[in-house]
Amino acid sequence: MALLYEMAWRFLHALLYVQRALVAWFRVHIWRWKRAVVGLLLPLALGFHNPKKTGAIGKRTSRRVRWGADGRTLEKLPLHVGLLITEEEIHFTDVANLVVWCMAVGISYVSVYDNQGVFRRNNSRLMEEILKQQQELLGMDSSKYSVEFMKNGTDKQEHQVLPCQSVVKVLSPDDGRLSIVQAAQQLCRAVEQKEKTIKDINVTVLDSLLRESKNIPDPDLVLKFGPVESTLGFLPWHIRLTEIISMPSHVDVSYDDLFGALQRYATCEQRLGK
Amino acid sequence: MYKFKKIDPYDWFCGPGSHISIDKLFSNILTLRLCLNLGIHEVTVYAFSIENFKRSKEEVDGLMELARQKFSRLLTEQENLEKHGVCIRVLGDLTLLPTDLQQLIAKAVVATKAHNKCFLNVCFAYTSRHEIANAVKEMAWGVEQGLIKPSDVSEVLLSECLYSSNSPNPDLLIRTSGEVRLSDFLLWQTSYSCLVFQSVLWPEYSFWNLCEAVLQYQLSYRSLQKAGDLHREGQALQQMEADRTCVAELLQHRGNGKPMDAQSRQKELLNYTASREERVHCFLNALQHKRDTVFSDLSSQAVLA
Repeated sequence: MALLYEMAWRFLHALLYVQRALVAWFRVHIWRWKRAVVGLLLPLALGFHNPKKTGAIGKRTSRRVRWGADGRTLEKLPLHVGLLITEEEIHFTDVANLVVWCMAVGISYVSVYDNQGVFRRNNSRLMEEILKQQQELLGMDSSKYSVEFMKNGTDKQEHQVLPCQSVVKVLSPDDGRLSIVQAAQQLCRAVEQKEKTIKDINVTVLDSLLRESKNIPDPDLVLKFGPVESTLGFLPWHIRLTEIISMPSHVDVSYDDLFGALQRYATCEQRLGK
Repeated sequence: MYKFKKIDPYDWFCGPGSHISIDKLFSNILTLRLCLNLGIHEVTVYAFSIENFKRSKEEVDGLMELARQKFSRLLTEQENLEKHGVCIRVLGDLTLLPTDLQQLIAKAVVATKAHNKCFLNVCFAYTSRHEIANAVKEMAWGVEQGLIKPSDVSEVLLSECLYSSNSPNPDLLIRTSGEVRLSDFLLWQTSYSCLVFQSVLWPEYSFWNLCEAVLQYQLSYRSLQKAGDLHREGQALQQMEADRTCVAELLQHRGNGKPMDAQSRQKELLNYTASREERVHCFLNALQHKRDTVFSDLSSQAVLA
């Protein structure tokens, strides 16, 4: 009997693998077909699919304008978006694209996270890619975006040239549970030194401690890229009301993929217990 | 391959058809049976959030009444519960509930405490943030009582101070009704769990929905194990670093200027780690005792009433 069950599970798995492979194959081919059609049908001024026919600067400006306009058409735009990359192999250019698109659409805070700390270790490389893609996609000469990289403690590297419009943060698992533990240690030390009593410890106090070292609002939306169905340690305290939208992969992700997710976010409703 | 699962039937109590909900409340036990069929022995459900207190007084009173009926009914099923070895635990800040309900809950918990075949955890008057803040409070209590030091506070210790400390972290979290957020449910415990969002509404939840979720879990299993292992390695390293720092501080205080050789330093480190573990062990025993006392007191009050 147990053998029968096991065989049933294995059969289901096999079926699912086949289905996923087929869907992935279709997705790539339909995407290519869509791209070709759009390239033919869109007016040249908007078409970055036909780079030879339009001037580079004009094309970038119109894209920037279009993306900004897109942001304003949405019923609601998230204030803070988390990009959670669960895939093992990370393509920095694609991540940089996502960041730049988010900022162009009007999202104020963008966090980038992976559970192995790859972004944290390669933050300068990510920064370079973001600046490069900013230039490539939006044509901005100097950085209009303040890029802050989160580290534990007080040494934050800031790369700021002009007043910021958006803030980009790089996060790792240390910013999650470990930050909560550090806040807990701080409170326990205060109790030990009789600066606080146990009654002083509550959700609000803990929340303000966790916000002090981050000073960004809670993520409204997390875009999870990759097949792993988990938050993998992403800011557990901060994501209590965060919408989690899954995307198949960050590799070769397009603006339309991102905008589709934002549209989905715009239609969701939060009851907050009532 | 898996042993633990949490379901979040957020839409249980919603809507005007609350008389239908009474039956569905007992589907808790039905769900447990579904899970047992698949070999899952522990289920945690989100029955009532602290946020739900924001609803109208009538609605909240109605829900409290439903809960009273449910727990009373459970108490009449004691034989059945014993036969199947069902252990019922209630997680949350019970002090927020009416006293008579607290007593009923305590009775159910104490009566089924010794059962160990399957476990049903009901989150009542619960939010994850409150749970975490409460755990920090308990650790602060430990420091105040001189049982532990602030430097003993770690991820592992915090996990042991949560309401869910007697359970392992869930392997799978299922969210029904099409919502794609965690809504302040087990935020700490599910960091490395498989999250499955299903659009089916809870009253219509079936065995096939459960299979679908478990299938999803099985497909993500390897990557989740890998991520979990990586995290645990990181935790162990951090603990070792923390111990080293404490030992270095201790030696500095004690120090008579003579530098220590590597072997003595290692010995000191091992001694320190052993004493820290001993401290933590005593503290956790004291904490468990404190919690058990609360439940047994409430339970005996219920008998007298």
